[in-house]
Amino acid sequence: MANNNSGTISPSANTASISNRINWRRLAEPSALIATLFALIIIFSILNPRFASVENLRNLMDQAALPLIIGVGATLVILLGSIDLSIEGIMGSAGLAFVLLSANSRSESDFGLLALLAALLTGIIFGLLNGLIVTKVKVPSFVVTLGMWFVGLGFATVLYGTETIPVLTNPEVSSWSSTLTFGAPNSFWAAVFVVILGVITLILTKTGRSIMAIGNNEVIARNSGIRVDRIKITVFALAGLLSAVAGIIAAIKLGSGSPSVGLGSLFITIPAVVIGGTALAGGKGGVLRTALGVLLLTVLNNGLILAGVSPSFQSGLAGAILIAAIVFAAWSQRDRLRIAK
Amino acid sequence: MSLKSKANRLVKLFGIAMVAGLTMAGCTTAATESTSTGTETTEQKVVSKDDIVFVASVINTTNPYFAANIAGAQALAKKLGVPIEIVDSEGSSQVQNSKIQAILAKGKTVVMFVNTVSSADAPIIVEATKAAGGFVTIWWNKPDDYEPKDVGDNFVAFQKHPGVSSGECTADRLAESIGGKGKIIALPGVQDSTTSQTRVAGLEYALSTRWPDVELVDVRPSDWDPELAYKNSQDLITKYGADIKGVWTADDGMQIGAMKAFEDAGLLGQVKFVSDGLYPPTIEDMRSGRGNNAIVGETFHRGWAASAIGLYTAYLAAIGEIKPSELPDEKRHSLFEIACVGPENFEEFASLDNDIDGWIDQLLVNGPWDTAPFKLIGAGPEVLPGQ
Repeated sequence: MANNNSGTISPSANTASISNRINWRRLAEPSALIATLFALIIIFSILNPRFASVENLRNLMDQAALPLIIGVGATLVILLGSIDLSIEGIMGSAGLAFVLLSANSRSESDFGLLALLAALLTGIIFGLLNGLIVTKVKVPSFVVTLGMWFVGLGFATVLYGTETIPVLTNPEVSSWSSTLTFGAPNSFWAAVFVVILGVITLILTKTGRSIMAIGNNEVIARNSGIRVDRIKITVFALAGLLSAVAGIIAAIKLGSGSPSVGLGSLFITIPAVVIGGTALAGGKGGVLRTALGVLLLTVLNNGLILAGVSPSFQSGLAGAILIAAIVFAAWSQRDRLRIAK
Repeated sequence: MSLKSKANRLVKLFGIAMVAGLTMAGCTTAATESTSTGTETTEQKVVSKDDIVFVASVINTTNPYFAANIAGAQALAKKLGVPIEIVDSEGSSQVQNSKIQAILAKGKTVVMFVNTVSSADAPIIVEATKAAGGFVTIWWNKPDDYEPKDVGDNFVAFQKHPGVSSGECTADRLAESIGGKGKIIALPGVQDSTTSQTRVAGLEYALSTRWPDVELVDVRPSDWDPELAYKNSQDLITKYGADIKGVWTADDGMQIGAMKAFEDAGLLGQVKFVSDGLYPPTIEDMRSGRGNNAIVGETFHRGWAASAIGLYTAYLAAIGEIKPSELPDEKRHSLFEIACVGPENFEEFASLDNDIDGWIDQLLVNGPWDTAPFKLIGAGPEVLPGQ
């Protein structure tokens, strides 16, 4: 620390000190999470050498794919200071729309790429509706997206009808997600592509900077000329699109369509975003941090099974390890867990 | 208005009420007499068919089993000419209970089949039905110490297929298919589900008593969820690799996820599968011989039969043809036959799906306890092996 002759701290030295502290805090948390991740990998590898095998690495990639894709959308929404709970409903609708419009056991009609586009459009429409209601009707995102979750599930249930399970009949489609490209499953490459786009959007585009500004202080952002409503609608539409992508991949993974294909996704994704270090209040965090959170959760769940932990203890143990990891990694920034706007 | 005219109106009203009451009594008596089977019904409240509404409550409408529940209930309602309302619980006890209470409040006599979301829902639904003068049969889930005979005639029956028999059947089929030797894994449903627990108990009992060289190396509850079954199978494939010779799942939904995981890992042709339900996709997989005839055993029971049996039992109580309190224990807490099927005979059972109406006709002739292939085989509660 730099002192002047009188023994008092100069303003410039004080600023430098604060700046160092902020930088340290910025680095400390992801570093600690990465350290925790490596510690888990080492422990699980010792407990079962198959954990570190190529096969399990592919497993981990495949299992992380969906939360990574959804996590990017969820991160953008949370950075705004909002929340998107409609993930599972949109996944169900989009996944089922894709299966029913592709070659399936219920009908011979196969719309090929149009099926994909229709499913993606389904997600965008749900996302747009979320954004429009939040911005124009001024209803909190928690309420709107909670409602849209069930609207999505209802839509999927209507699509499903009362007939038998629609099964994808084109083997090329139903095996796409697990097919290896450069040694990794396609689902993982799709997730990597989405994460890279998310990072670029957030760091290099005006939209990304606007998202952070809105999350930090919406009033100042609006007064400084940022078109807040337009950004919010865009982000919700993007989140809807990514939920649809996840729904389609989930349906392909199962080889069949079901309204409940996204079941449980929300409660992996939101914790992963928060564990990664994105503030629920908005304005702080990022896509790579979410990716770190997703990897931590995926490794934990996979590792506990490979380590032979009894199912009766697995949830409890996973929760305890997570709490310990967060206390260790995020002590310096525990103020981020403020209530969402 | 004078006192005299008031008195005249009262007399007229009383007269009309008497005539109406007698007419209604006549209707109900006629209904009782016309359907009497010799059971004494004099003290029982008997309901006219015209006052009855059927209700079939299911956990959701997309699971093939629950969709079949609806189909069976609707087929029976059509056959008997009784209106029906379907309750979609959307997987939530709260939704289920509030929808049922709303229907009970409408005033008609409710005759109900409920596939409860959780065991704890049964007393709430039964008490509400009792208060409304309705009749209910619960399928699959109820608290162990909550018995129809202790509640009264409105809780007509609790019915299910035995889980232990299901687990034993599929365990035997699986063990036999792998030559009585090797490692297998099991994917039960929700961990605290009685249905899942009894099926697992049957599996473990069969292995321990008849197949000592078959090793159950891992049991991973997969919550009846195909996606979770897929993920758990992926992890177990990594853990045990090609050592896994067989996969046991507690229902066909999870089997769909497990088979896809083994298929994606390139192992489907080397592993055998057994499960419970014989869902339509399973039938297709058995017909096509998918994965080197991967599916070697199933238990056969049907959602449409469960709802039809349950509703018909409650209906007979409502119209006075049976008096629940006079029934033997096995007809209040009933275990129905479950068929053990394999590649050699599954078509025979699967063909029943093509003629639900024909089966309902048999149900009306033979009654709820004696219609093949789902005949009454004993009284509950189900006893777990070794207890």
